[in-house]
Amino acid sequence: MPISFACAVSHAPGMTAWANAAAAAQKDRIYGGFERLRGELDSSGTEILVLLTSEHWANFFLDHMGAFCIGRAAAYRGPIEPWLQIDKAEVKGDPALAAELLETSYDEGIEPSFAYELEFDHGTMVPLHFLMPRMDRPVVPIFFNTLAEPQPTARRCLAFGQVIGQVAARSPHRIGLIATGGLSHDPGERNHGVIDTDFDQQFMSVMASGNTERLGRYSRAELAASRRRRLRAPELGRARGRACRPQGRDRRL
Amino acid sequence: MSLYALQKLIRDVNRKPACRDAYFQSAEKFAETYDLGDDERVALVSMNVGALYAMGVHGLLLRPFTLLRNMPEPDYLKAIRGE
Repeated sequence: MPISFACAVSHAPGMTAWANAAAAAQKDRIYGGFERLRGELDSSGTEILVLLTSEHWANFFLDHMGAFCIGRAAAYRGPIEPWLQIDKAEVKGDPALAAELLETSYDEGIEPSFAYELEFDHGTMVPLHFLMPRMDRPVVPIFFNTLAEPQPTARRCLAFGQVIGQVAARSPHRIGLIATGGLSHDPGERNHGVIDTDFDQQFMSVMASGNTERLGRYSRAELAASRRRRLRAPELGRARGRACRPQGRDRRL
Repeated sequence: MSLYALQKLIRDVNRKPACRDAYFQSAEKFAETYDLGDDERVALVSMNVGALYAMGVHGLLLRPFTLLRNMPEPDYLKAIRGE
């Protein structure tokens, strides 16, 4: 069946943990956007969700870091963060769809890792809290390494996405997709809170146009250039009275 | 360089309740169980967030680690930005 629902949303933990720290109008806009998406999901007849999310050191560490990991569990629990202001809940998995995603990936020359145990943190629970508060559909989570270099290229991510689309298209079930993360942002880093709006707008415009060839052509150099622009962001320079640079910090892990 | 060990310690404290308890009982003793350099041990025990960041601790390990001590975000950002 065709993909029944698809969206890409932020999972910033402050949206639930410190929601009232935001201006009321901003909070209302964000919550309103999630409400609209929840309505679309509910009316889409989606039976199973595939949720693409970022790993945040909750499940994996540098002792074993893969590029992509597909969850094969019958159920997951989260959130792990006691401060997230989201009640702990169980989310059902779908081992059969997870197996289908894995087998098709391998057939197509992509070898994600897999796990029968994964815990959900804000990266998964914040979108589910807003979009599926009753936690009443099974979810197949797919975790991406967004932490330690090297990371998969845009071309590889696109190819993996096409495999997911292929599996959804031939499934007898109505499969929805939630992608979650951020574009140009560096949580916990010096340029925390600084975004490269030009880059983000350009990227989203390419996505909206369906130009997959261009999406696959985003290079490490282009992504690194956005990071450099954020490190030179004027708001950081003003705050610190000097240019904000990594100052020898070795991020090669 | 023992950045790996330093990050492993912080991740263990963030994720494993028994490690967290041991760390809060005595950061100094807990740190002895990891292969840290002297400067790393000092930065960890004195909770020198700026130094830990400069040594290369990932922001998504370091920020949750500081949340265990209820460090406000503005203070965290000042520390890692060297302000």
